[in-house]
Amino acid sequence: MQLTPEEDFLAKDRERAKNNKRKNVPIVVITYLMTAVFMAMIGYVIYFMQFEAERTIANSRNVRQDSFADKVERGDIITSDGEVIATSTTDENGVTKRSYPHGNMFAHVTGYDAHGKAGLELSGNFYMLRTHIQVFERVMKELADEKNRGDNIVTTVRYDLQARAYNALGDARGAVIAIEPSTGKILCMVSKPDFDPNEIDAVWDYMQTEEGAESSILLNRATQGYYAPGSTFKVVTLLEYMREHPNDYENYNYYCESDGTFNDVYIHCYGDTAHGEESLKDSLAYSCNASFANIGVGLNKSSYRKTAEELLFNKELPFDGTYVKSSFTIDENSADYEIPQTAIGQGDTKMTPLHGAMITSAIANGGVLMKPYMIERVENDDGAKIKEFKPKTYGALMESNEAKVLTEYMKSVADYGTAAWYFSDASYDVAAKTGTAEYDDEGHSNSWFIGFSNPDHPDLVVCVLTEDVERTGLTSSSVARQLFDAYYGY
Amino acid sequence: MINIICEISKYLIILFMILYTVKCFSSLLSTTEKERKVKATKQIIYVFMIHFLCYLTMFLRLGEVRIIVFYGIQIFVAILYMVIFQSIYRNASALLTNNTAFMLLIGYIMLTRLDFSLAVKQFLFATVGLILTSFVPYIMQNWKNLRVFGKRYGLLGLIGLMTVFIPGLGFENYGSRNWIRIGGFSLQPMEFVKILFVFFVASMLCKASTFGELLANAIISAAFMGVLVLEKDLGAAVIFYITYVCLVYLATSRPIFLVGGIGIGVGAVYAAYLLFKDSLFAHVMVRVSAWRNPFADIDGGGYQLSQSLFAIGTGGYLGSGLTQGSADIIPVSESDFIFSAICEELGVIFGLALILVIVSIFISFVNVAMQCRDPFYKYVAFGFSVIFITQSLLNLGGVTKFIPSTGVTLPLISYGVSSVLSTLIIFSIIQGVYVISTNEAIKNEKDKERAKAILERAAYAGGGLPGQRQGTREEQ
Repeated sequence: MQLTPEEDFLAKDRERAKNNKRKNVPIVVITYLMTAVFMAMIGYVIYFMQFEAERTIANSRNVRQDSFADKVERGDIITSDGEVIATSTTDENGVTKRSYPHGNMFAHVTGYDAHGKAGLELSGNFYMLRTHIQVFERVMKELADEKNRGDNIVTTVRYDLQARAYNALGDARGAVIAIEPSTGKILCMVSKPDFDPNEIDAVWDYMQTEEGAESSILLNRATQGYYAPGSTFKVVTLLEYMREHPNDYENYNYYCESDGTFNDVYIHCYGDTAHGEESLKDSLAYSCNASFANIGVGLNKSSYRKTAEELLFNKELPFDGTYVKSSFTIDENSADYEIPQTAIGQGDTKMTPLHGAMITSAIANGGVLMKPYMIERVENDDGAKIKEFKPKTYGALMESNEAKVLTEYMKSVADYGTAAWYFSDASYDVAAKTGTAEYDDEGHSNSWFIGFSNPDHPDLVVCVLTEDVERTGLTSSSVARQLFDAYYGY
Repeated sequence: MINIICEISKYLIILFMILYTVKCFSSLLSTTEKERKVKATKQIIYVFMIHFLCYLTMFLRLGEVRIIVFYGIQIFVAILYMVIFQSIYRNASALLTNNTAFMLLIGYIMLTRLDFSLAVKQFLFATVGLILTSFVPYIMQNWKNLRVFGKRYGLLGLIGLMTVFIPGLGFENYGSRNWIRIGGFSLQPMEFVKILFVFFVASMLCKASTFGELLANAIISAAFMGVLVLEKDLGAAVIFYITYVCLVYLATSRPIFLVGGIGIGVGAVYAAYLLFKDSLFAHVMVRVSAWRNPFADIDGGGYQLSQSLFAIGTGGYLGSGLTQGSADIIPVSESDFIFSAICEELGVIFGLALILVIVSIFISFVNVAMQCRDPFYKYVAFGFSVIFITQSLLNLGGVTKFIPSTGVTLPLISYGVSSVLSTLIIFSIIQGVYVISTNEAIKNEKDKERAKAILERAAYAGGGLPGQRQGTREEQ
């Protein structure tokens, strides 16, 4: 039977609709795929805002931070024991003035909030320009176009330790840095000469003069001072020797006649002392140059470099502030004559006090370095906690058994070695290494101290550098003693 | 007082933006014409509210009278466009015209904020573009043989692409040699060639039935990609490639072409990386490493992206408010990085809503393609949908660090003469396809009604006949 034209039309239309639907399947597939990709992107943006934005925009290169200053009165900087060391006041014209109640004492901790910023004013800038005061108050002030009070940062630095270190250093040039090895908290950081951050504009003008430039008062010697490590570097040489002689390093023996020639280089002991027959431990305790030069010439150069670099020489340091990288130049192509000087910490090796403190901190903490940090938490103006910075593990710089042996050897330095004179009457145990690094041919030298107290459960790591010890007579060990005393309440 | 108004406006702008986005999606679901009209009217109100509040904020903050004048002219043109367009094409998609107006107006707002003279320039060219492209649906309705040119589209497109290699005419910008300069204007031929490319692929696929014809199509398409790679315009090469793969998949209905296409694409990118990472694609490598960690090289390759992330992060969900952020210091914020500027000052919530609006525009485009029964226009509409969404993805993903940045513009919002004109052409062609297929559907619907009525009358007269007839049809 024949279909009428109308029936035929409707049948064909149904067929066409069905075909079109089938034809559209790829379009539907692609649409779902694309929509899924866009949903993933939206998810990513939300993830960024929730978990990464805060850290990203705290970057000191984000110039938008400064635009916050138009709406927020910069928060305070407070020490962990409650002293305000930087604060802001705003006059009736809306001009905010920054002041530093303790002046020079915290100059290199707070830094300054002008001429490009430095110190905590730089690294904590973002937090102090954000406000977390109560929503109602904030909205009211925003509508009234008034400045809100920014959040305060509480630094890890302790007022009592900073004051003692500051006074102990006196007029001498140098740097003191103290770290809690189990957390990485920096408890004090002094650098001299210093400046008054309240007078930063005048200081800035002074820096433009020849005399000012020479004074280098804006340089934070604790993190940017770049010194030959002297005998403190013997700890590194010792570690390398132990690694190359894992089973018999304890059998090492050397007869010191106060001097000797190693790889054609003449080396003599400090004060031309002949140490006589000595073990490896005694070589460190007495800081015997001849013995360490002797050790040095037997070392494998490339593995020596590897050990130094594992201790972060030539590397970026895990520290959120301005610092200088330390350097160690020996590699497999180095000439033999470079070795003896390097082994005793002279030569081309350079180290900052911060780095010295970090290596010591790793030794004290079973080989594991905790990332040093200076901001403990952020609080709003009412003192409520906004953000807390937890200790972060950087990683192991050495094996824990290596750290244990180094601790034991460094203990002998304070027990009967070069630091014994300073710590014999102390009521706590200390593991340490001292150093004297000559920096010219006229007998001028810098004095180093690295060490930590209570070696069984280390409490405090201290690294001190005093410049030109011949002129000032101030040894780094005596400054360290003062700081340890302050820590234990003496 | 000014501060209070601006702060309140900031929140209202976000509110209207959310309402607009919701309407975009609910319009996609509406079934009756009347429902669509009501929703479209509400949408227009939301757009005009956002536009008004933004210009009010900028005027109050900056106090420049030219901002009000510019605002007035924009409103005048926008209303005129919508009224005239809707009355010429009674079956036009109101959702599409609304979205066109929305995207352009958002672009004008940000450009006014960033650089007034660029905003005026963009406005002038877009207005000329709107006038010219309003003829496109008419041309498509009356000129039926657009589909016959096949290879000639391809040839013309290739010539167009290669104009950038003519000394004195073509020049290099942002690491890609994909610009030409004509009479004081810088243009990217690629923007127009992509339209020819879609026409080329669509018309070839319409008649391609043999493997040989598919191969010829593939070879010419590969030539497009090759030239784009030589121009070091990788973003465009990716857009062309994805469009091509999607169209072949649509024409053949065989998933193997989609899977294979993605496979070949990934393989080609990897091979190109191994072969040319130090020569032809050195600047791409910089972008990839900037994507992995923009802050490692913050003064070099990572500068743009770090600034973009600083802007988005600092603005936060609610934004700093127009003129209150530092959107002007983001590099190329008027063009490739305009989305970061939007996020910083209008807020990330606004930005996310904008992404959703763009997705809804894409869905409304593919709806047009699905509704269309004519294969050529189906391919054309789908091709343009894919171009639009891929380009948006490369742009948005690039500035948010979702994917490496490839330097493409955000359609209709970014500043760029060639980009805006070509996007307007694409939108108007989609509108044309919509008008044609709606007219056909209406006609078809009428025919069906008539056929049914005749059959019903016959059944009533003959009594029980339709049932018998149906039976016979099943036997056939």
